[in-house]
Amino acid sequence: MNRFETAKDLPAMVRPAVVDLLFRMADDELIIGHRNSEWTGHAPILEEDIAFSSMAQDEMGHARAYYEMLHELGEADPDTLAFGRKPRQYRCASLVSLPKGDWAFSVVRQFLYDTSESVRLAALSESTFVPLAQLARKLRGEEKYHLMHGRSWVARLGSATEESRKRMQTALATCYPHALGLFEPTEADEPVAQYGIGLRERELKAQWESAVVPGLQAGGLSVADNVLPVYGGRVGRHPAALTELLDGMQLVYNIDPTAKW
Amino acid sequence: MTDTQWQVYEVFHQQARGEAHVHVGCVHAPDAEMALLMAKEQYARRQACVNLWVVPVSAITATKYEDDDMFERATDKSYRESWGYKTPKTTHAGSGQDGDVHL
Repeated sequence: MNRFETAKDLPAMVRPAVVDLLFRMADDELIIGHRNSEWTGHAPILEEDIAFSSMAQDEMGHARAYYEMLHELGEADPDTLAFGRKPRQYRCASLVSLPKGDWAFSVVRQFLYDTSESVRLAALSESTFVPLAQLARKLRGEEKYHLMHGRSWVARLGSATEESRKRMQTALATCYPHALGLFEPTEADEPVAQYGIGLRERELKAQWESAVVPGLQAGGLSVADNVLPVYGGRVGRHPAALTELLDGMQLVYNIDPTAKW
Repeated sequence: MTDTQWQVYEVFHQQARGEAHVHVGCVHAPDAEMALLMAKEQYARRQACVNLWVVPVSAITATKYEDDDMFERATDKSYRESWGYKTPKTTHAGSGQDGDVHL
């Protein structure tokens, strides 16, 4: 299969699909990073406060890298993409928009999300779009830690006390339909697969499910059969929580979008 | 009041392969695996790191400060001090750098 060394080498047929894919990944990272940063100063213990905040920064760093790649592909600069768009222009899945909930909710969400990210990055490491393959390989190290972190918390809280188990199971039941929405099929699926940019969403979802189940089982947690996915995020239909989040996140930026920092 | 804190693990950080693991601080954690996860973000996020050790503080046997006079030298023992010759800086070959003994 042809390899595309730079953004300029991408054929016009696949370009919009790559842009769409990058917006989905970038927006997921930005919004979950912001949500997780809401734990800064509030996490259950000091060490975890620092660890979770640091991981939130990692996610925002990943978002920045994807926005920079989008800029290479002709989109606006990273700050404008992160802060200068309306809610309907974001392409994040509903999972990342939901309020941070209790600690169990944020832990379960992070675990489900990080597992999807690791599956996605593994596939993109083999991408025919060389800059994306290089970036994916670079991000996998941080992602490895995020996944270890998530698995450890899920295994422990899932089986610690009756209350922790109940909270984890409740969080899982709430999160799972939204986590399935991470793999909402889009029009980009076929071009992305045909040009070897990445895998189809349904293929990623299958890999994700086989990675998620053992992690949940380690905590004695289970998912009901035939859960219906929550779709819409990939086409700009979001829960109201995203608008509230963006109102806060964009507040300072919107006072003077041209300000130099 | 009962102590609700998790146990303390001392953290040792290695900057490059072959270098000594250096004590950098401690973390609270329920078990060794979580201690490593916490140590990574507390002590390895601002500097190079290739390896971390965590050791439960209960595993450490220490001298008593009230006995610190046993370390004093009653007579001149400067002949024991090592200086004036080169020794490898690291415990294992690998860094390629030699330096004076620091002890």
